[in-house]
Amino acid sequence: MSYLVRRLWQFVPTLAGVILLVFFLFNWVGGDPAYMLAGKIASPEAIENIRRQIGVDQPYWVQLWIFVKQVATADFGASWSTNERVSQIFATRLGPSLTVLIPLLLASTLLSLAVAMLVAYYRGSLTDRAAMIGCTVGQSISILVYILVFQYVLGYQLAWFPVQGWGSTLGENLTRYAVLPIVVGVVVSLAPDIRLYRTFFLDEIGQDYVRTARAKGLGEGRVLWLHVLRNAAIPVATNVLIQLPGLLAGAFLIERFFSIPGIGREVILAVERSDFPVIKAVTVYVAIATMVMNLTADLLYRALDPRVQLK
Amino acid sequence: MRALGLLLALAISGAQAADPAKILRVTFQAAETGFDPAKVSDYYSGTVIEAIFDPLLTYDYLARPATLVPNTAVALPRITDGGRTYTLQVRRGIYFAEDAAFKGARRELTALDYAYSLRRFLDPKNRSPYAFLFEGIAGIETPDRQTIVIRLKRTDFNFAHVLAFPLAGAVAREAIEHYGDESAAHPVGSGPFRLKRYVRSSKIVLEANPGFREVTREGERLPKIGGVEVSIMEETQSRWLAFQRGESDMEYQLSEVASAFITEDGKLRPEFAARGIQLDRSVDPEIIYLYFNMQDKTVGGLAKEKIALRRAIAMSYSVDDQIRIIRKGQAVRAQYPIPPGVAGHDPDYRSAIPHDPRAANALLDRFGYRRGADGFRRMPGGEPLVIRYSSMPTERDRQFDELMKRALDSIGVRLEIHKDRFPELLKLENQCRLMVKHSAWIADYPDGDNFMQLLYGPNSGQSNNACYKSAEYDKRYERSRLLPQGPARDRLYHEMARLMETDTVWLLTDSRYRNVLLQPRVQGFHKHPVMHQEWLYIDLELPR
Repeated sequence: MSYLVRRLWQFVPTLAGVILLVFFLFNWVGGDPAYMLAGKIASPEAIENIRRQIGVDQPYWVQLWIFVKQVATADFGASWSTNERVSQIFATRLGPSLTVLIPLLLASTLLSLAVAMLVAYYRGSLTDRAAMIGCTVGQSISILVYILVFQYVLGYQLAWFPVQGWGSTLGENLTRYAVLPIVVGVVVSLAPDIRLYRTFFLDEIGQDYVRTARAKGLGEGRVLWLHVLRNAAIPVATNVLIQLPGLLAGAFLIERFFSIPGIGREVILAVERSDFPVIKAVTVYVAIATMVMNLTADLLYRALDPRVQLK
Repeated sequence: MRALGLLLALAISGAQAADPAKILRVTFQAAETGFDPAKVSDYYSGTVIEAIFDPLLTYDYLARPATLVPNTAVALPRITDGGRTYTLQVRRGIYFAEDAAFKGARRELTALDYAYSLRRFLDPKNRSPYAFLFEGIAGIETPDRQTIVIRLKRTDFNFAHVLAFPLAGAVAREAIEHYGDESAAHPVGSGPFRLKRYVRSSKIVLEANPGFREVTREGERLPKIGGVEVSIMEETQSRWLAFQRGESDMEYQLSEVASAFITEDGKLRPEFAARGIQLDRSVDPEIIYLYFNMQDKTVGGLAKEKIALRRAIAMSYSVDDQIRIIRKGQAVRAQYPIPPGVAGHDPDYRSAIPHDPRAANALLDRFGYRRGADGFRRMPGGEPLVIRYSSMPTERDRQFDELMKRALDSIGVRLEIHKDRFPELLKLENQCRLMVKHSAWIADYPDGDNFMQLLYGPNSGQSNNACYKSAEYDKRYERSRLLPQGPARDRLYHEMARLMETDTVWLLTDSRYRNVLLQPRVQGFHKHPVMHQEWLYIDLELPR
């Protein structure tokens, strides 16, 4: 418990750093949003009126204090460009993002683990080398290329999936619209994940406990999927958990190309519109999610390996 | 009882006119911001607003150039007091779409609604991006429920166009107050469509307004379609593939892939024509131009050597290359400050600024811009000459940078590229602190005044981004404001265009084509030069 409290307490300085960084970055390089909100022709009085209404005429320390209060109350106000509550933006965009990301993470993790185990078992063989060359090539291709090619070939040419779109029910989205984005996401993440997990498995396959298990007459399947996998699970779990917050905001390319009304797409819109309330909220929430996931991964270590001591 | 029967018959005929099976599927390449007319400025929100709300006036769908006609007004405005008073009568029997804000009662549209709606643009609380269009209003009176009298601060014979502006549609006070800060997501109008489903930045579903008044064209009641489904698709490939797969019915935002479906002479490629796909091609009512900051110490001012420098730079820049490389042939050379389709446009006018780098070099030599040892020219006084061109950090603007570099290299002038984000460029522009930049203007209303005001001195730091202040130009502009459309005003516009060229404030570059691709089932589409959409007038053929 004391470990948990200490870790939670450490969130505070980290979050303070994020707040300062976002605030100063936006104010130094973000440009004056009043000019964008003012429209085609605006008098200096109109610009000043907008600055007053959105609060950017206040001294920096006042604006910073407002930001801190917003983080403390989880109320980031309304979007400057659409007037929609930021909380409403998150409430409505999180669902579509997770509809794609959860199956994507599950499928890519299971597939990567299976292939990585296979190539690790046959280390040095033609299969292993071919897989590693494939992964290196796959990793060096931009996600944009995958999206363009898969959308063109699978969506347009073969008509296996809709080219883009988003439905109104979870079932329709999971079975129809989210399939192609998930396939693209899985293919993109396979190459780096296989390489990474292969190294985890290779570290374990050479251990004494594996030799002992084999000496005891256990079957190869049991050795690999029970003993090796369990011991390699700690770095795998870390990798999966720390990917999630980044993917939430970072999946904007997939969301834009496939017209998915998710968080990533909203982030890009907010940046294009200099919509600081949304940018602030996304940055803070991603930072908090990253910290929570890191903590969860640490707690998971203990569950996966009782020898781990949390201090 | 007879009245009830009549009402029922009307309701049935209305239902028959708009076929619920006919759903038009369109795309937007950028997300909307909302549907409160006083609070938006983006094209896409305006498109939906135009379908939901009713302005007093509108444009004839087919007349070219665009011609004003009454919409909810009984007739075109009565203009009195030397162009300073506009009086209109609102037709009786027009109702807002049913909404919870009206608590079950039918709500008739009146002149009071227009007075309320127009005043909202001037209320600082709404920080309306289009307040500038209504700033000429001195007062609004409603002597009775159907009459609105708009008094202007000064003579303006073009104000009727403002009353046809899509955002000038009537909102109901009860709806605005009922929805408060959420008014942008709950539009309640009296127009042909109403909002059925709205997923922000993703999907906008409209349905034909069952209470829409009787509007007919060629004996048929409008709208004919039962609804419109708008999908936001930011990426060109997604829109292009979706259209080819038949997932959208019309598509006009494909300039990046235009060569895939248009031949060099502007015709639809035979393979698309064979599938029955239609192409509607028109020039957007816009101008793109390269401007010089007339207050800048290097390129600004009216001294002869400054005019010579600006003229030489303008003559070194190849507009043809811009159209060929950046526009991929999908634009026409802009010759006159007023584009085609806008009242006052002169198709016979030819720019006096040719593309002629050799003459540009001779001009610079003559005015003392000598080349230094490094091959670059210096100011007549010997100081370094550096042209600072501003653009955004985008792929498209990088192409403009390269054309500018090519142009200035051809006359031995050193170029410095200044990159900044859009809001910051806008701010510097409004402060007259940029030196040279490309800019664009698309018609808010189809009248030359909307373009000629871009060089009016008092508009410096607002729409006059060249910060040009010429007593001769301003005198003519002020006289033109007192004149209605016609030859006398056109003569003044000619003189103003020549003045601009003589002082070389702008180099007019191009106006882009709008290529609208339509599926075979879309019927009756003709792109209107000013209206954002034509959904009221088009029809869809259902599969047999």
